[in-house]
Amino acid sequence: MPRPIVSRPAPAFAAAVALAFLLSGALAPVSALANESASGKKDPARAITSQLICPCSCGEILSGCTCETGKAMQGYVDREIKAGKSKDQIEASLVNQYGEVILGAPKAKGFNLLVWVAPFLATALGFLIASVVLLRWVRRRAPAMPGAPGAAGSDFGAGPSTTAEQDLDALRERAEAELKRFKE
Amino acid sequence: MSELGRLSILLAFLASCFAVGSIAWGLRTGMAGPLKSGRRAVWVVCGLTLLAIVILERALLARDFSFRYVAEHTSLDLPPMYAFSSLWAGQEGSLLLWLFVLSAYGAAFLWAYRKRIDPFYDAVAMVVAGVMVFFTSLLAFVSPPFRILATPPADGNGLNPLLQDPGMMIHPPILYTGYVGFIIPFAFGIAVLLMNRTGTRWIEEVRRWTLFCWMFLGFGVLLGARWAYVELGWGGYWGWDPVENASLMPWLVGTAFLHSVMVEQRRGMMKTWNVALIVLTFELSIFGTFLTRSGVLTSVHSFTESNIGPWFLGFILISSTIATALILYRKALLESENRLDAVVSREGSFLFNNVLFLALTFATFLGTTFPVVSEAVTGAKISVSAPFFNRVNVPIALALLLLTGAGPVLSWKRVTTSVLQRNFLIPAFVGLLATLVGFPFGLHGVYPIVCVFGAAFVIATIVMEFARGIQARKDVAETKGAMAVVSLVEKNKRRYGGYIVHFGMVMIFVGVLGSSVFQKEAHGPLQPGESLALGPYTLKLRGVENRPVANAQHTRAILDVTRGDKYLGPAYPAKAMYFKSQQPMTEIALRQTPAEDLYMILGGVNDDGSASIQAYINPLVSLIWVGGVVMVIGTLIALADRMRLKREEKLGA
Repeated sequence: MPRPIVSRPAPAFAAAVALAFLLSGALAPVSALANESASGKKDPARAITSQLICPCSCGEILSGCTCETGKAMQGYVDREIKAGKSKDQIEASLVNQYGEVILGAPKAKGFNLLVWVAPFLATALGFLIASVVLLRWVRRRAPAMPGAPGAAGSDFGAGPSTTAEQDLDALRERAEAELKRFKE
Repeated sequence: MSELGRLSILLAFLASCFAVGSIAWGLRTGMAGPLKSGRRAVWVVCGLTLLAIVILERALLARDFSFRYVAEHTSLDLPPMYAFSSLWAGQEGSLLLWLFVLSAYGAAFLWAYRKRIDPFYDAVAMVVAGVMVFFTSLLAFVSPPFRILATPPADGNGLNPLLQDPGMMIHPPILYTGYVGFIIPFAFGIAVLLMNRTGTRWIEEVRRWTLFCWMFLGFGVLLGARWAYVELGWGGYWGWDPVENASLMPWLVGTAFLHSVMVEQRRGMMKTWNVALIVLTFELSIFGTFLTRSGVLTSVHSFTESNIGPWFLGFILISSTIATALILYRKALLESENRLDAVVSREGSFLFNNVLFLALTFATFLGTTFPVVSEAVTGAKISVSAPFFNRVNVPIALALLLLTGAGPVLSWKRVTTSVLQRNFLIPAFVGLLATLVGFPFGLHGVYPIVCVFGAAFVIATIVMEFARGIQARKDVAETKGAMAVVSLVEKNKRRYGGYIVHFGMVMIFVGVLGSSVFQKEAHGPLQPGESLALGPYTLKLRGVENRPVANAQHTRAILDVTRGDKYLGPAYPAKAMYFKSQQPMTEIALRQTPAEDLYMILGGVNDDGSASIQAYINPLVSLIWVGGVVMVIGTLIALADRMRLKREEKLGA
């Protein structure tokens, strides 16, 4: 029978509230940086080059590539943007020239759709299987033998569902036992 | 000396074969003599490998160019420290280091269990020796490190400039200590199946070995990220390169195992799953070597491509087939002892946590190998790089972050509504508050919001767990302040070590968030006297100069850095032209503070005399490195917990 919630939440609650303010304070400059960086992120050339691979054999993302080919390509993207070309037009012209290998990620079409879909399908399938397995384990539940692994009190933290009061009781008992051993 | 080196490798191969055969014979007949001889042979392999390493290191430091390996990877102008680290710059040396770490693990295992009279431990040693047979045969017959040149050159080819970084002195050995160490959990798993063993003692031992390797692998991965950050000069630290991914995958599966093994220890469940995870972790660590050596994928880390890829692939196929067959054959041995009480429980959360870790591994594996698969099917070359991984892996990683907060505060067996309320309301409130505070300052986008909420949520749960424990100790032992914390951690190192690891992980998440989402960049050609503005910083070009540095010529820009009105000093981003390779390399300039890094690159010097300067502000990137150290500290604390093992040994005795 679950017991009422906490009888002595003060330390945990106080710590959590203090932490909340601490985190809020720490996150303020981070968020401020987000505001500042908004302009940096709007760089249209970077929006394109960060999605492309340098066409030489270095295999680096173009926006961070410092090889000669990379620098020439970054210049090309800059010029095309200044000439009024859109992201799609620039990408299309580069794909025409170098092939799809220049894209940092393949287009989600044809066979390459698989690489986009499979991870999420696998995750969903994993969750489904895990849920089915869990439900089967619950349905087949048999009473645990005293002393068997997983029987109540067989290990710290194991045992029946606990409330805060029970947790504290258990911790107190442990602390008392340890103190007793220490004094001995 | 080269003959002695060759002989030591050949003898190591023979000793490995002897160890396998002798222990197998001893296990079959029950005779103690062959078991003892087999154990000794493992020590012999370790000694012989050490001898081979000493011989090769001596040749490297002496620049003995009659050794082909020395001529290929060193030169007269190479500083001695890099001549020393050239041991792991090439394939043969890397394999030798691998074998040494492997044999050292074998020897350490035998030393750790020297007082146990149980053939089970001999079976473990036999599996380790079996893997030694593979590596010694590679070094003896396929990729020998002691090949001699008929006509030694006057000077060597020199070391790849990318590897001439202090980080490279320790990154590969630490990474190998992690990678190779997974042999011991793997050997335990196989030995359990071979010997038809039940019980939970071995699983605690495996957990400790795994934790040890996992810590080294994780730290090695972070050191690699640090190396990429300071050496590759693209402003970031993780590019989802195939070799980076290869090191991440066994770490992810190892992490899944470290969680699910708790369910087996406490409830006697998920046994098959855990053995499968051990096997997968080991196979992925071999797969990482395959990726580095095979040359099937383009990587900035492919320093040592060769034709030994198929050997590794063959080894992975054979070892995984044997392991799978054994798991199926011993299915009954791995039956769960208990059933679950409720879906919403810590056991349930660990199962979902495992699904997410494996999903992350699968997405990484698929993305890494897909270019090869796609080209084979469609005939067209494609790239699968950071833009793919950032879109697919980030949401899965964020789900894991949320589960990191939820899992540890769920009770074992079942969770009542009151427990849910007590453990989740305050952390959720803290997470919400942190997010709300962020909004007015420009926090936007689903992923950053979830990350901030998740980070605050997890930290709040950790703080509450500590607060509860401290309160309990105060009530009984009247300990106060820092002593109460120390006392709490001391009494349950495993649990609180785990929380510290989680805290380190959250720091890494926040560091990644800050340095990726909030990164700022500016670039442009600068003439002397001109400035580049980036956020609060101003970079003024004083000039460009050429100067020789050790074995390279540096062309460096001199930038005067100011933040607001405060002059911070000069910075020297440079281009290095190494004399031997004639390869231009980027040498970044870095100003690090806890809040942010100012990262400066010299792109080159243009015909008109201007210098192309690229600069980034990477906020909170220091949290990534500090978070890594915190994780190591937490793991060491968890590893120090021997009480549980002793208790279980008493129960088992």
